[in-house]
Amino acid sequence: MEKDFTRLNYYEMLDIKPNATALEIRVAYNSALQMYQPDSLVSYSFFSQKERKEILARLEKAYFTLINEKEREIYNGELVRAGVLKSTEISPAAKGLVSIFEFNRQKDTPGMPKIHSSELKEKFSQNQRIREIISRQEIKGADLKEIRNELGVTIETIHQQTKIRLDYLHWVEDDKTEKLPAAVFLKGFIKSYLKCLCIEPADEISARYMNSLEHKN
Amino acid sequence: MAHIWPIGGGKGGSGKSFLASSLGRLLAKAGKKTLLIDLDLGAANLHTMVDVPYPDKCFSDFVSRKINLLEDTVLATPFPHLFLISGAHDSLDIANLSYEKKIKTLKSIAKLKYEHIILDLGAGTAINTLDFFLASGNGIFVTTPEPTSIENVYRLMRAIYLRRIRHYFTTDEFKALEKKVKELLGDDYFNKPENIVAVVRKEFPEKFALIRKDFNSFHFKLILNQLRKQDSVELGSQICKIIKKHLGLHVDFAGNIAYDEHVHDAICQRVSFLDRYPHTRAANDLRELNRKMSNSFGEQLILNYL
Ligand SMILES: Nc1ncnc2c1ncn2[C@@H]1O[C@H](COP(=O)(O)OP(=O)(O)OP(=O)(O)O)[C@@H](O)[C@H]1O
Ligand SMILES: [Mg+2]
Repeated sequence: MEKDFTRLNYYEMLDIKPNATALEIRVAYNSALQMYQPDSLVSYSFFSQKERKEILARLEKAYFTLINEKEREIYNGELVRAGVLKSTEISPAAKGLVSIFEFNRQKDTPGMPKIHSSELKEKFSQNQRIREIISRQEIKGADLKEIRNELGVTIETIHQQTKIRLDYLHWVEDDKTEKLPAAVFLKGFIKSYLKCLCIEPADEISARYMNSLEHKN
Repeated sequence: MAHIWPIGGGKGGSGKSFLASSLGRLLAKAGKKTLLIDLDLGAANLHTMVDVPYPDKCFSDFVSRKINLLEDTVLATPFPHLFLISGAHDSLDIANLSYEKKIKTLKSIAKLKYEHIILDLGAGTAINTLDFFLASGNGIFVTTPEPTSIENVYRLMRAIYLRRIRHYFTTDEFKALEKKVKELLGDDYFNKPENIVAVVRKEFPEKFALIRKDFNSFHFKLILNQLRKQDSVELGSQICKIIKKHLGLHVDFAGNIAYDEHVHDAICQRVSFLDRYPHTRAANDLRELNRKMSNSFGEQLILNYL
Protein backbone atom coordinates (compact mmCIF):
# COMPACT_ATOMS: atom_id res chain seq x y z
CA MET A 1 0.00 0.00 0.00
CA GLU A 2 1.60 3.22 -0.98
CA LYS A 3 0.93 6.86 -1.22
CA ASP A 4 -2.29 8.26 -2.44
CA PHE A 5 -2.02 9.36 -6.08
CA THR A 6 -2.67 12.92 -4.99
CA ARG A 7 0.39 12.81 -2.78
CA LEU A 8 2.80 11.63 -5.43
CA ASN A 9 5.30 14.13 -6.65
CA TYR A 10 5.43 14.85 -10.36
CA TYR A 11 8.24 12.40 -10.98
CA GLU A 12 6.44 9.60 -9.19
CA MET A 13 3.24 10.46 -10.96
CA LEU A 14 4.91 10.01 -14.34
CA ASP A 15 7.10 7.09 -13.22
CA ILE A 16 10.36 8.80 -14.09
CA LYS A 17 13.58 9.54 -12.28
CA PRO A 18 14.27 13.03 -10.99
CA ASN A 19 17.01 13.42 -13.58
CA ALA A 20 14.83 12.40 -16.53
CA THR A 21 15.51 14.12 -19.82
CA ALA A 22 12.92 16.13 -21.68
CA LEU A 23 12.44 13.24 -24.06
CA GLU A 24 11.84 10.79 -21.22
CA ILE A 25 9.33 13.16 -19.71
CA ARG A 26 7.41 13.32 -22.97
CA VAL A 27 7.43 9.60 -23.49
CA ALA A 28 6.24 9.09 -19.91
CA TYR A 29 3.50 11.64 -20.34
CA ASN A 30 2.38 10.01 -23.56
CA SER A 31 2.12 6.60 -21.98
CA ALA A 32 0.29 8.04 -18.99
CA LEU A 33 -2.21 9.66 -21.35
CA GLN A 34 -2.79 6.33 -23.00
CA MET A 35 -3.75 4.85 -19.66
CA TYR A 36 -5.91 7.64 -18.35
CA GLN A 37 -7.77 8.90 -21.39
CA PRO A 38 -11.53 8.41 -21.35
CA ASP A 39 -11.54 5.67 -23.97
CA SER A 40 -8.63 3.77 -22.48
CA LEU A 41 -9.53 0.12 -21.95
CA VAL A 42 -7.29 -0.01 -18.88
CA SER A 43 -8.91 2.69 -16.83
CA TYR A 44 -12.34 2.99 -18.36
CA SER A 45 -14.17 1.22 -15.53
CA PHE A 46 -11.70 2.08 -12.83
CA PHE A 47 -12.37 5.78 -12.38
CA SER A 48 -15.41 7.99 -12.30
CA GLN A 49 -15.48 10.80 -14.82
CA LYS A 50 -14.66 13.27 -12.12
CA GLU A 51 -11.68 11.32 -10.87
CA ARG A 52 -10.37 10.93 -14.38
CA LYS A 53 -10.63 14.62 -15.03
CA GLU A 54 -8.69 15.38 -11.88
CA ILE A 55 -5.99 12.88 -12.71
CA LEU A 56 -5.60 14.18 -16.25
CA ALA A 57 -5.36 17.72 -14.92
CA ARG A 58 -2.68 16.67 -12.44
CA LEU A 59 -0.70 14.85 -15.07
CA GLU A 60 -0.87 17.83 -17.34
CA LYS A 61 0.34 20.10 -14.58
CA ALA A 62 3.19 17.71 -13.88
CA TYR A 63 4.13 17.57 -17.53
CA PHE A 64 4.12 21.31 -18.08
CA THR A 65 6.10 21.96 -14.95
CA LEU A 66 8.78 19.41 -15.73
CA ILE A 67 9.07 20.19 -19.41
CA ASN A 68 9.72 23.83 -18.69
CA GLU A 69 13.27 24.31 -17.51
CA LYS A 70 12.63 27.27 -15.26
CA GLU A 71 9.53 25.85 -13.66
CA ARG A 72 11.21 22.53 -13.18
CA GLU A 73 14.07 24.19 -11.35
CA ILE A 74 11.67 25.95 -9.03
CA TYR A 75 9.75 22.75 -8.45
CA ASN A 76 12.92 20.77 -7.79
CA GLY A 77 13.92 23.43 -5.28
CA GLU A 78 10.66 22.90 -3.46
CA LEU A 79 11.17 19.14 -3.35
CA VAL A 80 14.70 19.55 -2.05
CA ARG A 81 13.60 21.95 0.66
CA ALA A 82 10.82 19.56 1.66
CA GLY A 83 13.44 16.83 1.96
CA VAL A 84 11.82 14.68 -0.75
CA LEU A 85 14.77 14.89 -3.10
CA LYS A 86 18.49 15.29 -2.63
CA SER A 87 20.05 17.95 -4.78
CA THR A 88 22.46 15.31 -6.10
CA GLU A 89 19.57 13.33 -7.56
CA ILE A 90 18.75 16.11 -9.94
CA SER A 91 21.10 15.98 -12.83
CA PRO A 92 22.39 19.36 -14.02
CA ALA A 93 22.12 17.94 -17.54
CA ALA A 94 18.36 17.85 -17.46
CA LYS A 95 18.50 20.40 -20.22
CA GLY A 96 18.50 19.78 -23.91
CA LEU A 97 16.63 21.18 -26.84
CA VAL A 98 12.92 21.10 -26.58
CA SER A 99 11.39 20.76 -29.97
CA ILE A 100 8.04 22.10 -30.95
CA PHE A 101 6.90 18.81 -32.31
CA GLU A 102 6.59 15.86 -30.04
CA PHE A 103 8.99 13.05 -30.50
CA ASN A 104 6.96 9.91 -30.24
CA ARG A 105 8.50 6.62 -31.19
CA GLN A 106 5.38 4.61 -30.72
CA LYS A 107 3.25 4.33 -33.77
CA ASP A 108 -0.48 4.18 -33.51
CA THR A 109 -0.89 2.57 -30.18
CA PRO A 110 -3.83 0.30 -29.70
CA GLY A 111 -6.16 1.71 -27.11
CA MET A 112 -5.62 5.23 -28.34
CA PRO A 113 -8.77 6.89 -29.49
CA LYS A 114 -8.75 7.14 -33.24
CA ILE A 115 -10.37 9.93 -35.06
CA HIS A 116 -12.87 8.61 -37.56
CA SER A 117 -12.96 11.16 -40.28
CA SER A 118 -16.25 10.04 -41.78
CA GLU A 119 -17.93 10.42 -38.41
CA LEU A 120 -16.38 13.84 -37.88
CA LYS A 121 -17.37 15.02 -41.33
CA GLU A 122 -20.90 14.02 -40.70
CA LYS A 123 -21.01 15.75 -37.33
CA PHE A 124 -19.41 18.77 -38.91
CA SER A 125 -21.96 18.99 -41.71
CA GLN A 126 -24.87 18.65 -39.31
CA ASN A 127 -23.75 20.96 -36.55
CA GLN A 128 -25.35 24.40 -36.85
CA ARG A 129 -23.12 25.95 -34.25
CA ILE A 130 -19.93 24.96 -36.04
CA ARG A 131 -21.20 26.21 -39.37
CA GLU A 132 -22.05 29.47 -37.77
CA ILE A 133 -18.57 29.83 -36.26
CA ILE A 134 -16.64 29.10 -39.40
CA SER A 135 -18.71 31.49 -41.46
CA ARG A 136 -17.42 34.39 -39.38
CA GLN A 137 -14.76 36.75 -40.63
CA GLU A 138 -12.89 36.70 -37.37
CA ILE A 139 -11.76 33.39 -35.92
CA LYS A 140 -10.06 33.11 -32.53
CA GLY A 141 -8.55 30.34 -30.49
CA ALA A 142 -11.66 30.20 -28.34
CA ASP A 143 -13.67 29.46 -31.49
CA LEU A 144 -11.42 26.56 -32.37
CA LYS A 145 -11.86 25.22 -28.87
CA GLU A 146 -15.60 25.45 -29.17
CA ILE A 147 -15.58 23.59 -32.47
CA ARG A 148 -13.39 20.90 -30.99
CA ASN A 149 -15.73 20.50 -28.04
CA GLU A 150 -18.76 20.38 -30.30
CA LEU A 151 -17.10 17.53 -32.16
CA GLY A 152 -16.28 15.78 -28.89
CA VAL A 153 -12.55 15.44 -29.53
CA THR A 154 -10.17 15.87 -26.59
CA ILE A 155 -7.20 18.18 -26.79
CA GLU A 156 -4.98 15.20 -25.95
CA THR A 157 -6.20 13.43 -29.06
CA ILE A 158 -5.29 16.38 -31.22
CA HIS A 159 -1.94 16.48 -29.52
CA GLN A 160 -1.39 12.79 -30.24
CA GLN A 161 -2.46 13.02 -33.84
CA THR A 162 -0.73 16.24 -34.84
CA LYS A 163 2.27 15.86 -32.53
CA ILE A 164 1.91 19.51 -31.65
CA ARG A 165 2.89 20.13 -28.07
CA LEU A 166 0.01 20.29 -25.64
CA ASP A 167 1.10 23.59 -24.17
CA TYR A 168 1.01 25.19 -27.61
CA LEU A 169 -2.44 23.76 -28.19
CA HIS A 170 -3.64 25.22 -24.92
CA TRP A 171 -2.09 28.59 -25.65
CA VAL A 172 -3.81 28.65 -29.02
CA GLU A 173 -7.18 27.71 -27.61
CA ASP A 174 -6.89 30.12 -24.70
CA ASP A 175 -5.70 32.94 -26.98
CA LYS A 176 -2.51 33.44 -25.02
CA THR A 177 -1.14 35.32 -27.99
CA GLU A 178 2.01 36.48 -26.26
CA LYS A 179 3.16 32.87 -25.86
CA LEU A 180 2.47 31.68 -29.39
CA PRO A 181 5.30 30.78 -31.75
CA ALA A 182 6.29 32.75 -34.84
CA ALA A 183 3.63 33.16 -37.50
CA VAL A 184 5.14 30.68 -39.96
CA PHE A 185 4.90 27.89 -37.41
CA LEU A 186 1.60 28.98 -36.02
CA LYS A 187 -0.11 28.90 -39.37
CA GLY A 188 1.07 25.35 -39.90
CA PHE A 189 -0.26 24.35 -36.49
CA ILE A 190 -3.67 25.82 -37.11
CA LYS A 191 -3.88 24.00 -40.39
CA SER A 192 -2.95 20.66 -38.85
CA TYR A 193 -5.40 21.31 -36.04
CA LEU A 194 -8.23 21.97 -38.48
CA LYS A 195 -7.33 19.02 -40.70
CA CYS A 196 -7.24 16.79 -37.68
CA LEU A 197 -10.84 17.77 -36.99
CA CYS A 198 -11.73 17.44 -40.69
CA ILE A 199 -12.70 21.09 -40.87
CA GLU A 200 -12.51 22.37 -44.42
CA PRO A 201 -11.29 24.48 -46.06
CA ALA A 202 -8.35 24.40 -43.66
CA ASP A 203 -6.18 26.78 -45.70
CA GLU A 204 -8.73 29.48 -45.85
CA ILE A 205 -9.84 29.21 -42.22
CA SER A 206 -6.30 29.24 -40.89
CA ALA A 207 -5.65 32.36 -42.99
CA ARG A 208 -8.63 34.02 -41.35
CA TYR A 209 -7.32 33.01 -37.93
CA MET A 210 -3.94 34.56 -38.73
CA ASN A 211 -5.59 37.74 -39.97
CA SER A 212 -7.66 38.07 -36.85
CA LEU A 213 -4.53 37.68 -34.80
CA GLU A 214 -2.74 40.45 -36.69
CA HIS A 215 -5.68 42.78 -36.24
CA LYS A 216 -5.60 42.22 -32.56
CA ASN A 217 -1.92 43.09 -32.20
CA MET B 1 3.17 -26.95 3.13
CA ALA B 2 1.58 -26.94 -0.30
CA HIS B 3 1.71 -23.99 -2.63
CA ILE B 4 -1.84 -22.79 -2.93
CA TRP B 5 -2.96 -21.07 -6.11
CA PRO B 6 -6.47 -19.65 -5.96
CA ILE B 7 -7.68 -18.68 -9.44
CA GLY B 8 -10.35 -16.01 -9.66
CA GLY B 9 -11.64 -13.37 -12.04
CA GLY B 10 -14.86 -11.52 -11.81
CA LYS B 11 -16.37 -12.63 -15.08
CA GLY B 12 -17.62 -16.00 -16.21
CA GLY B 13 -16.04 -17.53 -19.28
CA SER B 14 -12.73 -15.73 -18.96
CA GLY B 15 -10.89 -19.04 -18.78
CA LYS B 16 -10.36 -19.74 -15.08
CA SER B 17 -11.16 -23.44 -15.35
CA PHE B 18 -9.19 -23.83 -18.54
CA LEU B 19 -6.17 -22.21 -16.89
CA ALA B 20 -6.59 -24.16 -13.66
CA SER B 21 -6.63 -27.46 -15.53
CA SER B 22 -3.76 -26.45 -17.85
CA LEU B 23 -1.52 -25.29 -15.02
CA GLY B 24 -2.39 -28.42 -13.09
CA ARG B 25 -1.41 -30.56 -16.04
CA LEU B 26 1.90 -28.79 -16.49
CA LEU B 27 2.84 -29.02 -12.83
CA ALA B 28 1.89 -32.71 -12.74
CA LYS B 29 3.83 -33.35 -15.91
CA ALA B 30 6.90 -31.92 -14.20
CA GLY B 31 6.43 -34.62 -11.58
CA LYS B 32 4.86 -32.42 -8.92
CA LYS B 33 2.00 -33.89 -6.97
CA THR B 34 -0.82 -31.52 -7.76
CA LEU B 35 -4.42 -31.22 -6.61
CA LEU B 36 -7.18 -29.31 -8.35
CA ILE B 37 -10.13 -28.25 -6.21
CA ASP B 38 -13.30 -27.16 -7.97
CA LEU B 39 -14.85 -24.54 -5.72
CA ASP B 40 -17.05 -23.11 -8.43
CA LEU B 41 -19.91 -24.79 -6.61
CA GLY B 42 -23.15 -24.66 -8.50
CA ALA B 43 -21.31 -24.40 -11.84
CA ALA B 44 -18.57 -26.95 -11.43
CA ASN B 45 -17.02 -28.36 -14.60
CA LEU B 46 -13.35 -28.85 -13.83
CA HIS B 47 -13.83 -32.63 -13.80
CA THR B 48 -14.79 -32.49 -17.48
CA MET B 49 -11.61 -30.60 -18.31
CA VAL B 50 -9.39 -33.23 -16.71
CA ASP B 51 -11.28 -36.18 -18.08
CA VAL B 52 -13.09 -37.43 -14.99
CA PRO B 53 -16.55 -37.56 -16.54
CA TYR B 54 -18.33 -39.35 -13.68
CA PRO B 55 -16.83 -38.32 -10.36
CA ASP B 56 -18.15 -40.72 -7.71
CA LYS B 57 -17.52 -38.39 -4.79
CA CYS B 58 -17.11 -34.71 -4.41
CA PHE B 59 -16.65 -31.70 -2.17
CA SER B 60 -20.28 -31.62 -1.00
CA ASP B 61 -19.80 -35.07 0.56
CA PHE B 62 -17.32 -33.40 2.88
CA VAL B 63 -19.67 -30.51 3.59
CA SER B 64 -22.58 -32.88 4.31
CA ARG B 65 -20.27 -35.05 6.46
CA LYS B 66 -20.91 -38.08 4.33
CA ILE B 67 -17.13 -38.14 4.08
CA ASN B 68 -15.27 -37.06 7.18
CA LEU B 69 -11.87 -36.11 5.86
CA LEU B 70 -11.35 -33.76 2.93
CA GLU B 71 -8.49 -35.91 1.66
CA ASP B 72 -10.94 -38.80 1.24
CA THR B 73 -12.86 -36.86 -1.40
CA VAL B 74 -9.79 -36.75 -3.65
CA LEU B 75 -10.12 -38.48 -7.03
CA ALA B 76 -7.35 -39.72 -9.29
CA THR B 77 -7.32 -38.43 -12.87
CA PRO B 78 -5.99 -40.23 -15.97
CA PHE B 79 -2.84 -38.12 -15.65
CA PRO B 80 -0.02 -39.17 -13.32
CA HIS B 81 0.45 -36.89 -10.28
CA LEU B 82 -2.75 -34.97 -11.02
CA PHE B 83 -5.65 -35.24 -8.57
CA LEU B 84 -9.05 -33.65 -8.25
CA ILE B 85 -11.65 -32.71 -5.72
CA SER B 86 -14.72 -32.32 -7.85
CA GLY B 87 -17.58 -29.93 -7.31
CA ALA B 88 -19.82 -31.85 -9.66
CA HIS B 89 -22.70 -32.99 -7.49
CA ASP B 90 -22.98 -29.87 -5.52
CA SER B 91 -26.49 -28.65 -5.36
CA LEU B 92 -24.93 -26.29 -2.87
CA ASP B 93 -23.94 -22.84 -4.11
CA ILE B 94 -20.67 -21.43 -2.81
CA ALA B 95 -22.50 -18.42 -1.40
CA ASN B 96 -24.41 -20.74 0.95
CA LEU B 97 -21.45 -22.46 2.49
CA SER B 98 -21.67 -21.63 6.19
CA TYR B 99 -18.88 -19.83 7.99
CA GLU B 100 -17.98 -22.87 10.11
CA LYS B 101 -17.84 -25.13 7.06
CA LYS B 102 -15.68 -22.65 5.24
CA ILE B 103 -13.18 -22.39 8.08
CA LYS B 104 -13.15 -26.16 8.40
CA THR B 105 -12.49 -26.46 4.67
CA LEU B 106 -9.68 -23.90 4.71
CA LYS B 107 -8.02 -25.67 7.63
CA SER B 108 -8.34 -29.00 5.88
CA ILE B 109 -6.90 -27.64 2.65
CA ALA B 110 -3.90 -26.35 4.55
CA LYS B 111 -3.21 -29.85 5.85
CA LEU B 112 -3.41 -31.68 2.53
CA LYS B 113 -0.18 -33.30 1.43
CA TYR B 114 0.39 -32.01 -2.07
CA GLU B 115 3.07 -29.86 -3.63
CA HIS B 116 0.58 -27.67 -5.41
CA ILE B 117 -3.08 -27.03 -4.80
CA ILE B 118 -5.03 -25.06 -7.38
CA LEU B 119 -8.41 -23.62 -6.45
CA ASP B 120 -10.86 -22.91 -9.28
CA LEU B 121 -13.11 -20.24 -7.85
CA GLY B 122 -15.76 -19.33 -10.34
CA ALA B 123 -17.13 -15.90 -11.13
CA GLY B 124 -18.56 -13.27 -8.85
CA THR B 125 -17.59 -11.67 -5.55
CA ALA B 126 -19.45 -13.76 -2.98
CA ILE B 127 -17.79 -13.46 0.41
CA ASN B 128 -16.83 -17.13 0.41
CA THR B 129 -15.17 -16.71 -2.97
CA LEU B 130 -13.18 -13.79 -1.54
CA ASP B 131 -12.10 -15.81 1.48
CA PHE B 132 -10.96 -18.73 -0.63
CA PHE B 133 -9.06 -16.33 -2.84
CA LEU B 134 -7.39 -15.00 0.29
CA ALA B 135 -6.46 -18.51 1.38
CA SER B 136 -3.00 -17.67 0.13
CA GLY B 137 -1.08 -14.61 -0.90
CA ASN B 138 -0.56 -16.10 -4.36
CA GLY B 139 -4.01 -15.57 -5.84
CA ILE B 140 -4.24 -15.37 -9.61
CA PHE B 141 -6.62 -13.02 -11.37
CA VAL B 142 -7.80 -13.93 -14.85
CA THR B 143 -9.33 -11.52 -17.31
CA THR B 144 -9.81 -11.23 -21.04
CA PRO B 145 -9.01 -7.96 -22.86
CA GLU B 146 -12.69 -6.98 -22.99
CA PRO B 147 -13.92 -3.98 -21.01
CA THR B 148 -16.63 -6.07 -19.33
CA SER B 149 -14.12 -8.61 -18.10
CA ILE B 150 -11.69 -5.94 -16.95
CA GLU B 151 -14.49 -4.15 -15.17
CA ASN B 152 -15.32 -7.33 -13.28
CA VAL B 153 -11.76 -8.11 -12.37
CA TYR B 154 -11.38 -4.61 -10.92
CA ARG B 155 -14.54 -5.22 -8.94
CA LEU B 156 -13.13 -8.48 -7.64
CA MET B 157 -9.84 -6.84 -6.70
CA ARG B 158 -11.62 -4.10 -4.81
CA ALA B 159 -13.86 -6.62 -3.08
CA ILE B 160 -10.85 -8.65 -1.97
CA TYR B 161 -9.13 -5.50 -0.82
CA LEU B 162 -12.12 -4.48 1.26
CA ARG B 163 -12.56 -7.99 2.62
CA ARG B 164 -8.98 -7.99 3.83
CA ILE B 165 -9.37 -4.64 5.55
CA ARG B 166 -12.56 -5.85 7.16
CA HIS B 167 -10.57 -8.69 8.66
CA TYR B 168 -8.72 -6.27 10.94
CA PHE B 169 -11.82 -4.83 12.53
CA THR B 170 -14.42 -6.15 14.91
CA THR B 171 -18.01 -5.69 13.78
CA ASP B 172 -18.43 -2.62 15.96
CA GLU B 173 -15.14 -1.08 14.94
CA PHE B 174 -15.98 -1.59 11.32
CA LYS B 175 -19.34 0.06 11.77
CA ALA B 176 -17.59 3.03 13.33
CA LEU B 177 -15.19 3.12 10.43
CA GLU B 178 -18.02 2.97 7.91
CA LYS B 179 -19.73 5.84 9.63
CA LYS B 180 -16.58 7.91 9.63
CA VAL B 181 -15.98 7.21 5.95
CA LYS B 182 -19.54 8.15 5.10
CA GLU B 183 -19.12 11.40 6.98
CA LEU B 184 -15.94 12.30 5.20
CA LEU B 185 -16.51 10.94 1.74
CA GLY B 186 -20.21 10.62 1.11
CA ASP B 187 -22.42 7.70 0.29
CA ASP B 188 -20.82 5.77 -2.53
CA TYR B 189 -17.56 5.25 -0.64
CA PHE B 190 -17.82 1.47 -0.60
CA ASN B 191 -17.34 1.31 -4.35
CA LYS B 192 -13.88 2.65 -3.75
CA PRO B 193 -12.27 0.86 -0.80
CA GLU B 194 -9.02 2.69 -1.52
CA ASN B 195 -10.70 5.75 -0.05
CA ILE B 196 -11.38 3.89 3.15
CA VAL B 197 -7.70 3.32 3.66
CA ALA B 198 -7.09 7.05 3.79
CA VAL B 199 -9.50 7.18 6.70
CA VAL B 200 -7.96 4.14 8.39
CA ARG B 201 -4.57 5.79 8.08
CA LYS B 202 -5.81 8.80 9.95
CA GLU B 203 -8.18 7.29 12.49
CA PHE B 204 -6.61 3.88 13.19
CA PRO B 205 -2.88 4.31 12.58
CA GLU B 206 -1.88 1.08 14.35
CA LYS B 207 -4.32 -0.96 12.24
CA PHE B 208 -3.11 0.84 9.16
CA ALA B 209 0.42 -0.34 9.87
CA LEU B 210 -0.77 -3.94 10.14
CA ILE B 211 -2.84 -3.76 6.98
CA ARG B 212 0.00 -2.23 5.06
CA LYS B 213 2.38 -4.94 6.16
CA ASP B 214 -0.19 -7.53 5.18
CA PHE B 215 -0.81 -6.07 1.72
CA ASN B 216 2.89 -5.77 1.04
CA SER B 217 3.29 -9.49 1.58
CA PHE B 218 0.86 -10.44 -1.19
CA HIS B 219 2.13 -11.81 -4.47
CA PHE B 220 -1.01 -11.68 -6.52
CA LYS B 221 -0.76 -12.32 -10.23
CA LEU B 222 -2.69 -11.35 -13.30
CA ILE B 223 -3.16 -13.43 -16.42
CA LEU B 224 -4.61 -11.95 -19.57
CA ASN B 225 -6.37 -14.73 -21.43
CA GLN B 226 -7.78 -14.94 -24.95
CA LEU B 227 -5.60 -12.22 -26.42
CA ARG B 228 -6.22 -11.73 -30.11
CA LYS B 229 -3.85 -10.24 -32.64
CA GLN B 230 -5.34 -6.80 -32.51
CA ASP B 231 -5.23 -6.54 -28.70
CA SER B 232 -2.53 -4.56 -26.98
CA VAL B 233 0.18 -6.70 -25.40
CA GLU B 234 0.75 -3.88 -22.92
CA LEU B 235 -2.70 -4.14 -21.42
CA GLY B 236 -1.78 -6.54 -18.62
CA SER B 237 1.12 -4.50 -17.31
CA GLN B 238 -0.93 -1.34 -17.57
CA ILE B 239 -3.69 -2.89 -15.45
CA CYS B 240 -1.10 -3.83 -12.84
CA LYS B 241 0.27 -0.31 -12.91
CA ILE B 242 -3.13 1.24 -12.27
CA ILE B 243 -3.80 -1.24 -9.46
CA LYS B 244 -0.49 -0.46 -7.83
CA LYS B 245 -0.76 3.29 -8.17
CA HIS B 246 -4.36 3.73 -7.20
CA LEU B 247 -5.25 0.71 -5.08
CA GLY B 248 -1.83 0.04 -3.61
CA LEU B 249 -2.08 -3.66 -4.41
CA HIS B 250 0.96 -5.40 -5.85
CA VAL B 251 -0.20 -7.60 -8.68
CA ASP B 252 2.47 -9.03 -10.93
CA PHE B 253 1.61 -9.40 -14.55
CA ALA B 254 2.19 -13.09 -15.23
CA GLY B 255 1.61 -13.09 -18.97
CA ASN B 256 -0.67 -13.17 -21.98
CA ILE B 257 -2.34 -16.32 -23.28
CA ALA B 258 -3.24 -16.14 -26.94
CA TYR B 259 -6.76 -16.78 -28.15
CA ASP B 260 -6.83 -20.07 -30.01
CA GLU B 261 -9.73 -21.83 -31.72
CA HIS B 262 -8.14 -25.15 -30.79
CA VAL B 263 -8.98 -24.59 -27.14
CA HIS B 264 -12.61 -24.94 -28.04
CA ASP B 265 -11.88 -28.02 -30.16
CA ALA B 266 -9.94 -29.70 -27.36
CA ILE B 267 -12.64 -28.99 -24.79
CA CYS B 268 -15.33 -30.35 -27.12
CA GLN B 269 -13.33 -33.52 -27.70
CA ARG B 270 -12.64 -33.66 -23.95
CA VAL B 271 -8.94 -34.08 -24.55
CA SER B 272 -6.10 -32.06 -23.07
CA PHE B 273 -5.39 -29.01 -25.17
CA LEU B 274 -1.71 -29.16 -24.27
CA ASP B 275 -1.37 -32.76 -25.44
CA ARG B 276 -3.53 -32.44 -28.52
CA TYR B 277 -2.19 -29.09 -29.80
CA PRO B 278 1.25 -28.67 -28.20
CA HIS B 279 2.69 -26.52 -30.97
CA THR B 280 0.21 -23.69 -30.91
CA ARG B 281 0.84 -20.19 -29.69
CA ALA B 282 -1.52 -20.64 -26.74
CA ALA B 283 0.25 -23.85 -25.65
CA ASN B 284 3.58 -22.02 -25.77
CA ASP B 285 2.12 -19.21 -23.70
CA LEU B 286 0.87 -21.68 -21.11
CA ARG B 287 4.23 -23.38 -20.78
CA GLU B 288 5.96 -20.01 -20.48
CA LEU B 289 3.46 -18.97 -17.81
CA ASN B 290 4.04 -22.14 -15.87
CA ARG B 291 7.79 -21.70 -16.03
CA LYS B 292 7.56 -18.13 -14.79
CA MET B 293 5.23 -18.99 -11.95
CA SER B 294 7.27 -21.95 -10.81
CA ASN B 295 10.12 -19.52 -10.32
CA SER B 296 8.16 -17.13 -8.20
CA PHE B 297 6.59 -18.95 -5.31
CA GLY B 298 5.93 -16.34 -2.73
CA GLU B 299 5.99 -17.05 0.92
CA GLN B 300 3.05 -19.31 1.69
CA LEU B 301 0.53 -17.86 3.98
CA ILE B 302 -2.66 -19.44 4.89
CA LEU B 303 -4.18 -16.31 6.11
CA ASN B 304 -5.15 -16.01 9.72
CA TYR B 305 -7.68 -18.78 9.87
CA LEU B 306 -5.54 -21.30 11.64
N1 LIG C 1 -6.97 -19.07 -24.63
C1 LIG C 1 -8.19 -19.38 -25.13
N2 LIG C 1 -8.41 -19.37 -26.46
C2 LIG C 1 -9.61 -19.68 -26.96
N3 LIG C 1 -10.67 -19.99 -26.22
C3 LIG C 1 -10.53 -20.00 -24.88
C4 LIG C 1 -9.29 -19.71 -24.26
N4 LIG C 1 -9.46 -19.82 -22.92
C5 LIG C 1 -10.75 -20.15 -22.73
N5 LIG C 1 -11.40 -20.27 -23.90
C6 LIG C 1 -12.82 -20.60 -24.12
O1 LIG C 1 -13.58 -19.99 -23.12
C7 LIG C 1 -14.49 -20.91 -22.58
C8 LIG C 1 -14.67 -20.66 -21.11
O2 LIG C 1 -13.52 -21.04 -20.41
P1 LIG C 1 -13.61 -21.53 -18.91
O3 LIG C 1 -14.69 -22.52 -18.74
O4 LIG C 1 -12.23 -21.91 -18.48
O5 LIG C 1 -14.03 -20.16 -18.22
P2 LIG C 1 -14.32 -19.88 -16.67
O6 LIG C 1 -13.67 -18.59 -16.37
O7 LIG C 1 -13.94 -21.05 -15.85
O8 LIG C 1 -15.89 -19.70 -16.68
P3 LIG C 1 -16.91 -19.89 -15.44
O9 LIG C 1 -16.78 -18.68 -14.57
O10 LIG C 1 -18.25 -19.92 -16.10
O11 LIG C 1 -16.55 -21.15 -14.76
C9 LIG C 1 -13.90 -22.28 -22.87
O12 LIG C 1 -14.91 -23.19 -23.09
C10 LIG C 1 -13.08 -22.07 -24.10
O13 LIG C 1 -13.82 -22.41 -25.24
MG1 LIG D 1 -15.08 -22.39 -14.60
